[in-house]
Amino acid sequence: MRKNLMFQSTLSGSGKSLITASLCRHLSNKGYNVSPFKSLNISLNSFITEDGSEIGVSQAFQSWACGREPCHQMNPLLLKATGNSATQLIVNGKPSKGFCSRNDNDRKRLMSIVYDSYEFLEKTSDVIIIEGSGTPAEINLSDVANMATAEMFEAPVIIIGDIDTGGVFAGLYGTYKLLERKHRDLVKGFMINKFRGDPSILSPGIERIESEIGAPCLGTVSYRNYRFPEEDSLSLGGPINPNPLGDDIRDVWLKNLDLFLENMGQEVDFGVLENIIDRGI
Amino acid sequence: MSIEQRLRIKDEISRNHFKRAKPLMVLGATSGAGKSLMVAALCRIFSDMGYTVSPYKSQNMSLNSFVTKHGEEIARIQDLQARAARREPRSHMNPILLKPIRDDVSQVILYGVPYRDMDVDTYYNIFIPSRGKEILEDSIGFLKKTNDIIIMEGAGSPAEINISDIEIANLKAAEIAGAPCILVVNIERGGAFAYLYGTIAILEQAQQKMFKGTIINNFRGDPGSLKMGIEKIEEMLKLPVLGTIPHMDVDLPSEDSMDISNDEKKGLYTVGIVRLPRISNFTDFDALGLIENVSVKYITEPRDAKNADILIIPGTKSTIEDLIWIRETGFEAAIKDLHGKTPIFGICGGYQMLGKQIIDINSIESETKIIEGLGLLNGCTSFDKYKKITTQVEGHLQTDPLKRRIRGYEIHMGVTENKIDPPLNRVRVDDRNRDEGSYDPEMKVFGTYIHGFFDLPPARELLMSLIGKQMSECKAPACENEVDGIIDENLDKLAKAVKESLDIEWIMDIMGVPE
Repeated sequence: MRKNLMFQSTLSGSGKSLITASLCRHLSNKGYNVSPFKSLNISLNSFITEDGSEIGVSQAFQSWACGREPCHQMNPLLLKATGNSATQLIVNGKPSKGFCSRNDNDRKRLMSIVYDSYEFLEKTSDVIIIEGSGTPAEINLSDVANMATAEMFEAPVIIIGDIDTGGVFAGLYGTYKLLERKHRDLVKGFMINKFRGDPSILSPGIERIESEIGAPCLGTVSYRNYRFPEEDSLSLGGPINPNPLGDDIRDVWLKNLDLFLENMGQEVDFGVLENIIDRGI
Repeated sequence: MSIEQRLRIKDEISRNHFKRAKPLMVLGATSGAGKSLMVAALCRIFSDMGYTVSPYKSQNMSLNSFVTKHGEEIARIQDLQARAARREPRSHMNPILLKPIRDDVSQVILYGVPYRDMDVDTYYNIFIPSRGKEILEDSIGFLKKTNDIIIMEGAGSPAEINISDIEIANLKAAEIAGAPCILVVNIERGGAFAYLYGTIAILEQAQQKMFKGTIINNFRGDPGSLKMGIEKIEEMLKLPVLGTIPHMDVDLPSEDSMDISNDEKKGLYTVGIVRLPRISNFTDFDALGLIENVSVKYITEPRDAKNADILIIPGTKSTIEDLIWIRETGFEAAIKDLHGKTPIFGICGGYQMLGKQIIDINSIESETKIIEGLGLLNGCTSFDKYKKITTQVEGHLQTDPLKRRIRGYEIHMGVTENKIDPPLNRVRVDDRNRDEGSYDPEMKVFGTYIHGFFDLPPARELLMSLIGKQMSECKAPACENEVDGIIDENLDKLAKAVKESLDIEWIMDIMGVPE
């Protein structure tokens, strides 16, 4: 049985990358060999690995969180929008031309690249923490990065809702309801991220969602302005934590992650997440 | 105004006006859905058609208030909407304004006058149950008598099922006004269909029936690609999608951004990053926040460039396209104006732009084959073939006598030649040493391909030494009066774009407004 867990979300920018990094860090701290994985990343912020491969900067960060050197298998597909509806697709760390995700054959080829990368990582990992891309409920798109990935690697899925912009219960409920039935069965829990205030006021809403989707709420994570690498231009301009904590920004990111993880440990039951990983789908 | 005076005026109005305005309520699936500007657009559209229109928001929580001619304090966004409706803003348009004082406590402004400070508990459990309904009935009643149309705005999401019994800003207000509701969703962060479905489907039956349509807002790309999703959601909700509004760059304040700029902590010095449309690798600038007293701001308007102590042109996914953007938006003139006064950095694509020329004979990056650069450095960049350089680099700044380590990575197409300006860095790549980047000997302009340039201290120290030098030179004060004149023009632009994408006749039909 594969040992893995996947985070998906109701909106892009819900904090999947950070929560993925946190669980990676937590498991790595416990002595497991952990790898992050994101089959398809859509981002203009990329990182170059030791062998000159280009991957999303979030996977590099998650990899450091695992105490590993980043490699292109952690993010086999990277889509960079070049403007005017044009895009550049990076496959296995290198620019590639001539793929079209609407073409069934190309889609199969891309999925097999995703599969090979995952298999490569699995050889050196006890557990793989997978991050989805965007949201799984885009009913006008054929999805590679979310439920297709979860299905292929038999990954239990946790959906993250962003409460910062409001409507979090609607977002969780709608996302779940718009999934195909077989994909709904993969959803093993949900989390609420970026909350400010006293979480007890959320109880009536949380109970309602638990009963609607038949999966538990695994925690409510507080909003914190820590310093992490941003993936998305939508997040530009927000306030940041003034604590430098170091000279090298990569160290600072990891130290911030440790702080974040420490607080998150009070808000999320990591034991339950580990049980879900052990049980699988 | 005394209570007696107010009552007398109200009485007179009731006697002389019999209008029964047709209301419409605009609700958002999340905050930041674009409700406020949608209301402004509809106000302007109906005003253009000759109707007397008023905006309305029962309760607004905002630190940004505006004082009307009558000395009433209302939220600034209602002032903007009133302008869109070509009406004098009045407190009835926003009878309750909550100004947060600290966590859980707000100053309650009632009909434009400070009422008292209340904590969340008192407000929702005592004040609203006892006074809420009456305030809404009064203010809506007044507007109904004095208008043909009322465009009402909700607050946040109407589907906050944990507080639905105590909130008055959304469906409660619509119910009191008898307003049909439309739901706006912002598609920018994805999940639009899920949010539309979830917001309505999670409500009680009676509330679901108040909705008459939905709007997808802030869409980039070809609307045709949404067709399948729209058909499916219309079928699931049994409601029409009344329009897909494209993303617009209008120079109007959104409510949220007004609050952010108000709260933002100011550093002593500002590093301004030009917010290119195709900006990439902006994790480069995260490290600048490590410098004490420095704040990083993304600059979207050329006129704001002069407020920066250091200006950076960041990396971009498309150098030529963004250079054209810089030229057309007036950023080029602003940057050239600052040249010599404010230190300017270019990273990657920004570095390419700083040179004299960019040549792309084989149209590798864009259709434009040759384009003049900003000419602040003497480099010339050419895209000869489809070759992308991706490599990690390590080295030191040429300006650093201690040769301390910097490191990062290069991701670019195109090669830059510069035989005139001195190189900025000496780097080691694949066991070979080479020069990298350039700067002008006056130390006013710097360019490098290295992403992560500021990650380690040496480059940040260079930047700070430039600020120190520059602060001793005099700077022109900022001028802010230009903003006002642009607003009306932008409201027209907004209304026009919304009108083109929205089925206004259907909306009039929903409201029962005769054509």
